[in-house]
Amino acid sequence: MAQVTRFKQRGWIGTILLLEIAKGMALTLKKLFSRSVTRQYPVERPSIALGFRGQHALVRNPDTGESLCVACMRCATVCPSKCIHITYHQDPETRKRIVDTYEIEALRCIYCGYCEEVCPVNAVVLTEVYEYASYDRPSVYYDKDRLLSNWDRFLGESGRDPKTYVNPFWRPRGADERTLPAKKRLPVPEEWTLEGQAKGIPLPVAASHGSHGGAH
Amino acid sequence: MEFVTTLIIILAVVAVVLLHVAYATYFERKVIGHMQVRMGPMRVGPHGLLQPIADFVKLFFKEDVVPAGVDRPVFYAAPIISLVASLSSLAAVPFARGLVIADINIGLLYIFAMSSVASYGVVLAGWASNSKYAFLGGLRSSAQVISYEIAMGLSLVGVMMSAGSLNLTDIVEAQKADFFGCYAIPQILGFFVFVVAMLAETNRTPFDLPECESELVAGYFTEYSGFRFALFMLAEYVGMVIMSTIAALCFLGGWHGPFDVPYIPNFWLLIKIYFMIFFYFWIRATLPRYRYDQLMRLGWKVLIPLALANIVVTGIVKTFIS
Repeated sequence: MAQVTRFKQRGWIGTILLLEIAKGMALTLKKLFSRSVTRQYPVERPSIALGFRGQHALVRNPDTGESLCVACMRCATVCPSKCIHITYHQDPETRKRIVDTYEIEALRCIYCGYCEEVCPVNAVVLTEVYEYASYDRPSVYYDKDRLLSNWDRFLGESGRDPKTYVNPFWRPRGADERTLPAKKRLPVPEEWTLEGQAKGIPLPVAASHGSHGGAH
Repeated sequence: MEFVTTLIIILAVVAVVLLHVAYATYFERKVIGHMQVRMGPMRVGPHGLLQPIADFVKLFFKEDVVPAGVDRPVFYAAPIISLVASLSSLAAVPFARGLVIADINIGLLYIFAMSSVASYGVVLAGWASNSKYAFLGGLRSSAQVISYEIAMGLSLVGVMMSAGSLNLTDIVEAQKADFFGCYAIPQILGFFVFVVAMLAETNRTPFDLPECESELVAGYFTEYSGFRFALFMLAEYVGMVIMSTIAALCFLGGWHGPFDVPYIPNFWLLIKIYFMIFFYFWIRATLPRYRYDQLMRLGWKVLIPLALANIVVTGIVKTFIS
Protein backbone atom coordinates (compact mmCIF):
# COMPACT_ATOMS: atom_id res chain seq x y z
CA MET A 1 0.00 0.00 0.00
CA ALA A 2 1.23 3.43 -0.89
CA GLN A 3 1.53 5.63 2.14
CA VAL A 4 0.54 9.25 2.09
CA THR A 5 3.61 11.19 3.13
CA ARG A 6 3.15 14.59 4.61
CA PHE A 7 5.62 17.36 5.11
CA LYS A 8 6.76 17.66 8.67
CA GLN A 9 4.96 20.39 10.52
CA ARG A 10 7.12 23.41 11.15
CA GLY A 11 8.12 23.74 14.80
CA TRP A 12 8.09 27.00 16.74
CA ILE A 13 11.86 27.36 16.43
CA GLY A 14 11.53 27.10 12.67
CA THR A 15 8.79 29.72 12.76
CA ILE A 16 10.83 32.18 14.79
CA LEU A 17 14.01 31.74 12.81
CA LEU A 18 12.11 31.74 9.47
CA LEU A 19 13.83 28.50 8.48
CA GLU A 20 11.61 27.91 5.46
CA ILE A 21 12.32 31.35 4.06
CA ALA A 22 16.02 30.83 4.75
CA LYS A 23 15.90 27.57 2.81
CA GLY A 24 14.25 29.29 -0.13
CA MET A 25 16.78 32.12 -0.03
CA ALA A 26 19.63 29.61 0.03
CA LEU A 27 18.19 27.93 -3.05
CA THR A 28 17.89 31.15 -5.03
CA LEU A 29 21.40 32.17 -3.96
CA LYS A 30 22.74 28.83 -5.15
CA LYS A 31 20.96 29.25 -8.49
CA LEU A 32 22.45 32.74 -8.85
CA PHE A 33 25.82 31.10 -9.45
CA SER A 34 24.57 28.30 -11.67
CA ARG A 35 24.83 28.26 -15.44
CA SER A 36 21.81 29.75 -17.14
CA VAL A 37 19.92 27.67 -19.66
CA THR A 38 19.24 30.57 -22.02
CA ARG A 39 20.28 30.20 -25.64
CA GLN A 40 21.18 33.53 -27.27
CA TYR A 41 19.14 32.60 -30.31
CA PRO A 42 20.22 34.55 -33.37
CA VAL A 43 23.85 34.05 -32.35
CA GLU A 44 23.63 30.56 -30.92
CA ARG A 45 21.64 28.18 -33.08
CA PRO A 46 19.64 25.32 -31.63
CA SER A 47 20.76 21.82 -32.52
CA ILE A 48 18.03 20.13 -34.53
CA ALA A 49 16.92 16.81 -33.10
CA LEU A 50 16.27 13.74 -35.21
CA GLY A 51 12.77 13.82 -36.68
CA PHE A 52 12.38 17.60 -36.37
CA ARG A 53 9.19 18.75 -38.06
CA GLY A 54 9.66 22.11 -39.73
CA GLN A 55 8.79 23.72 -43.03
CA HIS A 56 6.86 21.65 -45.57
CA ALA A 57 8.41 20.49 -48.82
CA LEU A 58 7.79 18.20 -51.73
CA VAL A 59 10.77 16.01 -52.50
CA ARG A 60 12.11 16.81 -55.94
CA ASN A 61 12.97 13.77 -58.01
CA PRO A 62 16.64 14.30 -58.85
CA ASP A 63 16.21 12.55 -62.20
CA THR A 64 13.11 14.28 -63.59
CA GLY A 65 13.17 17.50 -61.54
CA GLU A 66 9.50 16.94 -60.75
CA SER A 67 7.65 15.95 -57.58
CA LEU A 68 7.44 12.29 -56.58
CA CYS A 69 3.76 12.63 -55.71
CA VAL A 70 1.42 10.07 -57.25
CA ALA A 71 -1.80 11.79 -56.11
CA CYS A 72 -2.93 8.90 -53.91
CA MET A 73 -4.60 11.48 -51.61
CA ARG A 74 -3.49 9.68 -48.48
CA CYS A 75 -1.85 12.77 -46.97
CA ALA A 76 -4.90 14.93 -47.67
CA THR A 77 -7.07 12.24 -46.10
CA VAL A 78 -5.00 11.67 -42.98
CA CYS A 79 -4.31 15.34 -42.31
CA PRO A 80 -6.11 16.22 -39.03
CA SER A 81 -6.35 19.92 -39.83
CA LYS A 82 -7.23 19.37 -43.49
CA CYS A 83 -4.58 21.75 -44.69
CA ILE A 84 -3.48 19.78 -47.77
CA HIS A 85 -5.39 20.37 -50.99
CA ILE A 86 -4.64 18.27 -54.08
CA THR A 87 -6.25 18.24 -57.50
CA TYR A 88 -5.29 15.78 -60.21
CA HIS A 89 -6.42 14.37 -63.54
CA GLN A 90 -5.90 10.97 -65.06
CA ASP A 91 -3.75 10.50 -68.12
CA PRO A 92 -6.12 8.77 -70.61
CA GLU A 93 -3.33 6.62 -72.10
CA THR A 94 -1.16 5.51 -69.18
CA ARG A 95 -4.03 5.65 -66.62
CA LYS A 96 -1.59 7.43 -64.28
CA ARG A 97 -2.74 10.19 -62.01
CA ILE A 98 -1.09 13.52 -62.69
CA VAL A 99 -1.02 16.19 -60.00
CA ASP A 100 -2.42 19.53 -61.10
CA THR A 101 -2.12 21.46 -57.85
CA TYR A 102 -0.64 20.53 -54.51
CA GLU A 103 -1.19 23.14 -51.82
CA ILE A 104 -0.40 23.22 -48.11
CA GLU A 105 -1.77 25.90 -45.84
CA ALA A 106 1.17 26.17 -43.44
CA LEU A 107 -0.80 28.35 -41.05
CA ARG A 108 -3.36 25.59 -40.48
CA CYS A 109 -0.78 22.81 -40.19
CA ILE A 110 -0.22 21.36 -36.72
CA TYR A 111 3.06 19.67 -37.65
CA CYS A 112 1.93 16.20 -36.62
CA GLY A 113 3.92 14.58 -39.43
CA TYR A 114 1.13 12.13 -40.40
CA CYS A 115 1.39 13.17 -44.06
CA GLU A 116 5.02 12.16 -44.43
CA GLU A 117 4.42 9.03 -42.40
CA VAL A 118 1.56 7.88 -44.60
CA CYS A 119 3.04 8.86 -47.97
CA PRO A 120 3.82 5.67 -49.89
CA VAL A 121 6.47 7.26 -52.11
CA ASN A 122 8.16 9.62 -49.64
CA ALA A 123 7.04 12.65 -51.61
CA VAL A 124 5.91 15.03 -48.86
CA VAL A 125 8.25 15.86 -46.01
CA LEU A 126 8.56 18.23 -43.07
CA THR A 127 12.07 19.61 -43.33
CA GLU A 128 14.40 20.89 -40.64
CA VAL A 129 13.99 24.50 -41.79
CA TYR A 130 12.28 26.50 -39.05
CA GLU A 131 12.91 30.13 -40.01
CA TYR A 132 10.11 30.96 -42.42
CA ALA A 133 8.02 33.46 -40.53
CA SER A 134 6.50 36.14 -42.71
CA TYR A 135 4.40 39.28 -42.50
CA ASP A 136 1.67 38.12 -44.86
CA ARG A 137 -0.47 35.06 -45.32
CA PRO A 138 0.03 34.35 -49.04
CA SER A 139 3.74 33.67 -48.55
CA VAL A 140 3.02 30.79 -46.14
CA TYR A 141 0.32 29.31 -48.39
CA TYR A 142 2.52 26.91 -50.28
CA ASP A 143 1.74 25.80 -53.81
CA LYS A 144 3.57 23.03 -55.63
CA ASP A 145 6.41 25.16 -56.97
CA ARG A 146 6.98 26.72 -53.60
CA LEU A 147 7.03 23.29 -51.92
CA LEU A 148 9.59 22.02 -54.41
CA SER A 149 11.74 25.09 -53.87
CA ASN A 150 11.41 24.55 -50.11
CA TRP A 151 13.02 21.17 -50.69
CA ASP A 152 15.87 22.80 -52.61
CA ARG A 153 16.32 25.32 -49.81
CA PHE A 154 16.45 22.55 -47.23
CA LEU A 155 19.03 20.60 -49.20
CA GLY A 156 21.07 23.74 -49.69
CA GLU A 157 21.00 24.76 -46.03
CA SER A 158 21.52 21.34 -44.52
CA GLY A 159 23.91 20.05 -47.17
CA ARG A 160 22.17 16.68 -47.37
CA ASP A 161 22.38 14.37 -50.33
CA PRO A 162 18.94 13.85 -51.95
CA LYS A 163 19.96 10.33 -53.01
CA THR A 164 20.60 9.07 -49.47
CA TYR A 165 18.30 11.31 -47.41
CA VAL A 166 15.99 9.39 -45.10
CA ASN A 167 13.46 11.06 -42.85
CA PRO A 168 12.67 9.23 -39.59
CA PHE A 169 8.98 9.53 -40.39
CA TRP A 170 9.44 7.56 -43.55
CA ARG A 171 10.21 4.57 -41.32
CA PRO A 172 7.51 4.58 -38.62
CA ARG A 173 9.14 3.51 -35.43
CA GLY A 174 8.96 -0.22 -34.74
CA ALA A 175 6.83 -0.93 -37.81
CA ASP A 176 7.28 -4.28 -39.44
CA GLU A 177 9.21 -4.16 -42.71
CA ARG A 178 6.46 -6.13 -44.46
CA THR A 179 3.76 -3.62 -43.47
CA LEU A 180 5.56 -0.77 -45.24
CA PRO A 181 5.08 0.16 -48.89
CA ALA A 182 8.03 -0.82 -51.06
CA LYS A 183 9.49 2.67 -51.33
CA LYS A 184 9.48 3.16 -47.57
CA ARG A 185 11.72 0.13 -46.96
CA LEU A 186 14.79 2.30 -46.93
CA PRO A 187 18.11 1.57 -45.31
CA VAL A 188 18.50 3.73 -42.20
CA PRO A 189 21.63 4.95 -40.40
CA GLU A 190 23.02 2.80 -37.63
CA GLU A 191 22.15 5.21 -34.78
CA TRP A 192 18.43 5.06 -35.54
CA THR A 193 18.26 1.39 -34.60
CA LEU A 194 18.90 2.25 -30.97
CA GLU A 195 15.32 3.28 -30.39
CA GLY A 196 13.65 0.41 -32.19
CA GLN A 197 13.81 2.17 -35.53
CA ALA A 198 15.45 -0.88 -37.03
CA LYS A 199 14.22 -2.38 -40.21
CA GLY A 200 12.36 -5.62 -40.10
CA ILE A 201 11.39 -5.87 -36.46
CA PRO A 202 8.41 -8.23 -36.51
CA LEU A 203 5.44 -6.93 -34.55
CA PRO A 204 3.84 -9.10 -31.86
CA VAL A 205 1.12 -11.16 -33.50
CA ALA A 206 -1.72 -9.85 -31.32
CA ALA A 207 -0.93 -6.19 -32.01
CA SER A 208 0.16 -6.59 -35.58
CA HIS A 209 -2.83 -5.24 -37.47
CA GLY A 210 -3.42 -1.69 -38.28
CA SER A 211 -0.79 0.03 -36.18
CA HIS A 212 2.09 1.93 -37.56
CA GLY A 213 4.54 3.36 -35.13
CA GLY A 214 3.61 1.42 -32.01
CA ALA A 215 6.14 2.29 -29.34
CA HIS A 216 8.27 -0.47 -27.91
CA MET B 1 28.74 81.42 -1.92
CA GLU B 2 27.59 78.86 0.55
CA PHE B 3 24.37 78.64 -1.40
CA VAL B 4 26.24 77.74 -4.58
CA THR B 5 28.30 75.05 -2.85
CA THR B 6 25.16 73.52 -1.40
CA LEU B 7 23.52 73.59 -4.80
CA ILE B 8 26.49 71.80 -6.34
CA ILE B 9 26.45 69.17 -3.61
CA ILE B 10 22.71 68.68 -4.10
CA LEU B 11 23.14 68.24 -7.86
CA ALA B 12 26.01 65.82 -7.30
CA VAL B 13 24.05 63.73 -4.80
CA VAL B 14 20.95 63.63 -7.00
CA ALA B 15 23.03 62.71 -10.06
CA VAL B 16 24.86 59.93 -8.23
CA VAL B 17 21.66 58.56 -6.73
CA LEU B 18 19.86 58.62 -10.08
CA LEU B 19 22.78 56.80 -11.66
CA HIS B 20 22.53 54.21 -8.92
CA VAL B 21 18.79 53.96 -9.52
CA ALA B 22 19.34 53.41 -13.25
CA TYR B 23 21.81 50.64 -12.65
CA ALA B 24 19.73 49.22 -9.80
CA THR B 25 17.13 48.34 -12.43
CA TYR B 26 19.82 46.61 -14.50
CA PHE B 27 21.23 44.88 -11.43
CA GLU B 28 17.74 43.75 -10.42
CA ARG B 29 17.01 42.23 -13.81
CA LYS B 30 20.38 40.51 -13.89
CA VAL B 31 20.14 39.14 -10.33
CA ILE B 32 16.58 37.92 -10.72
CA GLY B 33 17.39 36.52 -14.15
CA HIS B 34 20.32 34.49 -12.93
CA MET B 35 18.38 33.33 -9.87
CA GLN B 36 15.79 31.99 -12.29
CA VAL B 37 18.54 30.38 -14.40
CA ARG B 38 18.06 32.99 -17.12
CA MET B 39 20.47 35.67 -18.26
CA GLY B 40 18.56 38.93 -17.96
CA PRO B 41 19.24 41.74 -20.43
CA MET B 42 21.99 40.76 -22.86
CA ARG B 43 21.39 42.59 -26.11
CA VAL B 44 22.06 46.30 -25.49
CA GLY B 45 25.79 46.70 -25.09
CA PRO B 46 28.09 44.03 -23.69
CA HIS B 47 26.03 41.89 -21.29
CA GLY B 48 23.22 44.43 -21.63
CA LEU B 49 25.16 47.12 -19.77
CA LEU B 50 23.49 49.94 -21.71
CA GLN B 51 19.98 48.63 -21.03
CA PRO B 52 19.08 51.34 -18.45
CA ILE B 53 19.99 54.03 -20.97
CA ALA B 54 17.88 52.36 -23.65
CA ASP B 55 15.01 52.09 -21.17
CA PHE B 56 15.33 55.75 -20.29
CA VAL B 57 15.35 56.87 -23.91
CA LYS B 58 12.33 54.72 -24.65
CA LEU B 59 10.34 55.99 -21.67
CA PHE B 60 11.28 59.58 -22.40
CA PHE B 61 10.02 59.46 -25.97
CA LYS B 62 6.87 57.49 -25.29
CA GLU B 63 3.52 59.09 -25.85
CA ASP B 64 2.13 60.62 -22.67
CA VAL B 65 -1.42 59.33 -22.53
CA VAL B 66 -3.83 61.00 -20.13
CA PRO B 67 -7.12 59.07 -19.92
CA ALA B 68 -10.35 60.99 -20.46
CA GLY B 69 -11.94 60.68 -17.03
CA VAL B 70 -8.99 61.58 -14.82
CA ASP B 71 -8.84 64.39 -12.30
CA ARG B 72 -6.21 66.29 -14.22
CA PRO B 73 -4.45 68.52 -11.66
CA VAL B 74 -4.16 65.67 -9.16
CA PHE B 75 -3.18 63.24 -11.90
CA TYR B 76 -0.32 65.52 -12.93
CA ALA B 77 0.74 66.27 -9.37
CA ALA B 78 0.82 62.71 -8.00
CA PRO B 79 4.05 61.43 -9.61
CA ILE B 80 5.78 64.71 -8.81
CA ILE B 81 4.77 64.51 -5.14
CA SER B 82 6.01 60.95 -5.06
CA LEU B 83 9.40 61.71 -6.57
CA VAL B 84 9.98 65.01 -4.78
CA ALA B 85 9.25 63.44 -1.42
CA SER B 86 11.64 60.58 -2.16
CA LEU B 87 14.39 62.84 -3.42
CA SER B 88 14.10 65.33 -0.56
CA SER B 89 14.76 62.53 1.92
CA LEU B 90 18.26 62.45 0.46
CA ALA B 91 18.97 65.82 2.09
CA ALA B 92 19.31 64.35 5.55
CA VAL B 93 21.16 61.17 4.60
CA PRO B 94 24.92 61.24 5.17
CA PHE B 95 26.70 59.32 2.40
CA ALA B 96 30.08 59.58 4.09
CA ARG B 97 31.49 61.23 7.17
CA GLY B 98 30.61 64.90 6.64
CA LEU B 99 29.04 64.38 3.20
CA VAL B 100 25.49 65.39 4.03
CA ILE B 101 23.45 68.20 2.53
CA ALA B 102 21.65 69.12 5.76
CA ASP B 103 23.17 67.74 8.93
CA ILE B 104 20.02 68.24 10.98
CA ASN B 105 19.39 66.85 14.45
CA ILE B 106 16.04 65.34 13.53
CA GLY B 107 17.39 63.50 10.48
CA LEU B 108 15.55 60.25 11.07
CA LEU B 109 12.28 61.97 11.86
CA TYR B 110 12.58 64.07 8.70
CA ILE B 111 13.14 60.98 6.55
CA PHE B 112 10.07 59.33 8.05
CA ALA B 113 8.01 62.42 7.40
CA MET B 114 9.16 62.47 3.80
CA SER B 115 8.40 58.81 3.18
CA SER B 116 4.90 59.45 4.58
CA VAL B 117 4.46 62.30 2.13
CA ALA B 118 5.60 59.99 -0.67
CA SER B 119 2.64 57.74 0.08
CA TYR B 120 0.36 60.73 -0.72
CA GLY B 121 1.65 60.52 -4.26
CA VAL B 122 0.54 56.91 -4.43
CA VAL B 123 -2.86 57.57 -2.87
CA LEU B 124 -3.54 60.58 -5.07
CA ALA B 125 -2.46 58.68 -8.18
CA GLY B 126 -4.90 55.91 -7.32
CA TRP B 127 -7.69 58.40 -6.70
CA ALA B 128 -7.09 60.67 -9.68
CA SER B 129 -6.77 57.88 -12.25
CA ASN B 130 -10.51 57.13 -12.22
CA SER B 131 -9.79 53.44 -12.71
CA LYS B 132 -10.78 50.54 -10.49
CA TYR B 133 -7.32 48.99 -10.56
CA ALA B 134 -5.52 52.19 -9.72
CA PHE B 135 -8.10 52.94 -7.05
CA LEU B 136 -7.66 49.56 -5.35
CA GLY B 137 -3.89 49.89 -5.63
CA GLY B 138 -3.99 53.29 -4.03
CA LEU B 139 -6.25 52.08 -1.20
CA ARG B 140 -4.01 49.13 -0.50
CA SER B 141 -0.93 51.25 -0.59
CA SER B 142 -2.27 53.80 1.85
CA ALA B 143 -3.37 51.14 4.32
CA GLN B 144 -0.10 49.28 3.99
CA VAL B 145 2.21 52.25 4.21
CA ILE B 146 0.41 53.70 7.21
CA SER B 147 0.45 50.47 9.19
CA TYR B 148 4.03 49.57 8.38
CA GLU B 149 5.28 53.06 9.05
CA ILE B 150 4.33 52.60 12.69
CA ALA B 151 6.32 49.38 12.93
CA MET B 152 9.24 50.96 11.15
CA GLY B 153 9.28 54.04 13.34
CA LEU B 154 9.06 51.93 16.48
CA SER B 155 11.83 49.61 15.28
CA LEU B 156 14.16 52.59 15.02
CA VAL B 157 13.25 53.89 18.47
CA GLY B 158 15.57 51.27 19.94
CA VAL B 159 18.39 52.66 17.80
CA MET B 160 17.57 56.22 18.85
CA MET B 161 17.58 55.17 22.53
CA SER B 162 20.91 53.39 22.17
CA ALA B 163 22.55 56.23 20.30
CA GLY B 164 20.80 58.97 22.20
CA SER B 165 20.31 60.97 19.02
CA LEU B 166 18.16 61.37 15.94
CA ASN B 167 21.05 62.71 13.89
CA LEU B 168 22.22 60.01 11.49
CA THR B 169 25.89 60.98 11.72
CA ASP B 170 25.71 60.75 15.51
CA ILE B 171 24.00 57.37 15.26
CA VAL B 172 26.83 56.02 13.10
CA GLU B 173 29.48 57.36 15.45
CA ALA B 174 27.61 55.94 18.44
CA GLN B 175 27.75 52.50 16.82
CA LYS B 176 31.53 52.78 16.54
CA ALA B 177 31.61 53.21 20.31
CA ASP B 178 29.23 50.31 20.84
CA PHE B 179 30.53 46.94 22.04
CA PHE B 180 29.44 45.09 18.87
CA GLY B 181 30.35 47.86 16.44
CA CYS B 182 26.90 47.85 14.89
CA TYR B 183 23.34 47.87 16.18
CA ALA B 184 22.23 44.90 14.09
CA ILE B 185 23.29 42.50 16.87
CA PRO B 186 22.04 44.17 20.07
CA GLN B 187 19.00 45.49 18.19
CA ILE B 188 18.41 42.25 16.29
CA LEU B 189 14.66 42.43 16.91
CA GLY B 190 14.54 46.03 15.77
CA PHE B 191 16.61 45.16 12.71
CA PHE B 192 14.28 42.32 11.77
CA VAL B 193 11.21 44.52 12.13
CA PHE B 194 12.95 47.27 10.19
CA VAL B 195 13.86 44.99 7.28
CA VAL B 196 10.31 43.64 6.97
CA ALA B 197 8.77 47.09 7.32
CA MET B 198 11.30 48.45 4.83
CA LEU B 199 10.12 45.97 2.21
CA ALA B 200 6.50 46.90 2.88
CA GLU B 201 7.18 50.62 2.96
CA THR B 202 8.77 50.62 -0.49
CA ASN B 203 6.04 48.36 -1.90
CA ARG B 204 8.45 45.58 -2.80
CA THR B 205 7.83 41.83 -2.90
CA PRO B 206 6.53 40.07 -0.84
CA PHE B 207 4.49 43.15 0.06
CA ASP B 208 3.95 44.58 -3.41
CA LEU B 209 0.17 44.42 -3.07
CA PRO B 210 -0.36 48.01 -4.30
CA GLU B 211 1.09 47.17 -7.70
CA CYS B 212 0.60 43.45 -7.96
CA GLU B 213 0.55 42.66 -11.64
CA SER B 214 -1.55 39.54 -11.47
CA GLU B 215 -4.68 41.13 -10.06
CA LEU B 216 -4.35 44.92 -10.35
CA VAL B 217 -2.56 45.27 -13.72
CA ALA B 218 0.00 47.71 -12.32
CA GLY B 219 -1.82 49.02 -9.27
CA TYR B 220 -1.83 52.73 -8.60
CA PHE B 221 0.09 53.68 -11.75
CA THR B 222 -1.99 51.61 -14.16
CA GLU B 223 -3.16 54.70 -16.03
CA TYR B 224 0.23 56.36 -16.20
CA SER B 225 2.44 56.13 -19.22
CA GLY B 226 5.66 57.49 -20.61
CA PHE B 227 7.58 59.82 -18.41
CA ARG B 228 5.01 60.07 -15.62
CA PHE B 229 5.27 56.32 -15.23
CA ALA B 230 9.05 56.68 -15.14
CA LEU B 231 8.72 59.20 -12.30
CA PHE B 232 6.86 56.64 -10.20
CA MET B 233 9.46 53.98 -10.92
CA LEU B 234 12.18 56.46 -10.08
CA ALA B 235 10.47 57.31 -6.78
CA GLU B 236 10.21 53.62 -5.92
CA TYR B 237 13.87 52.95 -6.58
CA VAL B 238 15.03 56.13 -4.83
CA GLY B 239 12.94 54.95 -1.88
CA MET B 240 14.77 51.62 -2.00
CA VAL B 241 18.15 53.34 -2.03
CA ILE B 242 17.15 55.52 0.92
CA MET B 243 15.79 52.61 2.95
CA SER B 244 18.93 50.59 2.22
CA THR B 245 21.03 53.55 3.30
CA ILE B 246 19.09 53.95 6.53
CA ALA B 247 19.48 50.25 7.26
CA ALA B 248 23.21 50.54 6.62
CA LEU B 249 23.54 53.68 8.73
CA CYS B 250 21.33 52.75 11.67
CA PHE B 251 21.98 49.04 12.00
CA LEU B 252 25.05 47.98 10.05
CA GLY B 253 27.55 50.53 11.31
CA GLY B 254 27.51 53.06 8.48
CA TRP B 255 30.92 53.87 7.03
CA HIS B 256 32.80 51.96 9.70
CA GLY B 257 34.24 48.63 8.65
CA PRO B 258 36.77 46.07 9.84
CA PHE B 259 39.60 48.10 8.28
CA ASP B 260 39.98 51.44 6.55
CA VAL B 261 40.06 51.56 2.77
CA PRO B 262 42.29 54.37 1.48
CA TYR B 263 40.84 57.06 -0.86
CA ILE B 264 37.27 55.79 -0.55
CA PRO B 265 35.99 57.10 2.78
CA ASN B 266 32.51 55.58 2.33
CA PHE B 267 33.64 52.22 0.93
CA TRP B 268 31.98 50.22 3.70
CA LEU B 269 28.78 52.25 3.53
CA LEU B 270 28.55 51.58 -0.20
CA ILE B 271 29.15 47.86 0.31
CA LYS B 272 26.41 47.76 2.93
CA ILE B 273 23.98 49.75 0.76
CA TYR B 274 24.65 47.49 -2.22
CA PHE B 275 24.14 44.45 -0.07
CA MET B 276 20.80 45.76 1.17
CA ILE B 277 19.71 46.53 -2.40
CA PHE B 278 20.81 43.05 -3.43
CA PHE B 279 18.78 41.75 -0.49
CA TYR B 280 15.68 43.44 -1.92
CA PHE B 281 16.16 41.61 -5.21
CA TRP B 282 17.07 38.37 -3.51
CA ILE B 283 13.81 38.49 -1.55
CA ARG B 284 11.93 39.34 -4.72
CA ALA B 285 13.37 36.34 -6.54
CA THR B 286 12.47 34.02 -3.66
CA LEU B 287 9.19 34.90 -1.98
CA PRO B 288 5.66 34.96 -3.37
CA ARG B 289 3.28 37.80 -2.56
CA TYR B 290 1.35 37.93 0.71
CA ARG B 291 -2.42 37.89 0.78
CA TYR B 292 -3.78 41.24 1.86
CA ASP B 293 -5.23 40.16 5.21
CA GLN B 294 -2.01 38.29 6.00
CA LEU B 295 -0.09 41.45 5.28
CA MET B 296 -2.24 43.47 7.67
CA ARG B 297 -2.13 40.76 10.33
CA LEU B 298 1.65 40.57 10.12
CA GLY B 299 1.94 44.32 10.44
CA TRP B 300 -0.40 44.89 13.35
CA LYS B 301 -0.20 41.63 15.27
CA VAL B 302 3.45 40.69 14.87
CA LEU B 303 5.68 43.57 13.88
CA ILE B 304 4.24 46.35 16.06
CA PRO B 305 4.21 44.22 19.26
CA LEU B 306 7.75 43.04 18.43
CA ALA B 307 8.94 46.59 17.95
CA LEU B 308 7.28 47.67 21.20
CA ALA B 309 8.88 44.76 23.06
CA ASN B 310 12.21 45.79 21.58
CA ILE B 311 11.79 49.29 22.96
CA VAL B 312 10.96 47.96 26.43
CA VAL B 313 13.92 45.58 26.46
CA THR B 314 16.28 48.27 25.16
CA GLY B 315 15.03 50.65 27.82
CA ILE B 316 15.54 48.12 30.63
CA VAL B 317 19.00 47.15 29.43
CA LYS B 318 20.03 50.75 29.01
CA THR B 319 18.80 51.64 32.49
CA PHE B 320 20.70 48.79 34.11
CA ILE B 321 23.94 49.36 32.22
CA SER B 322 24.18 53.09 32.85
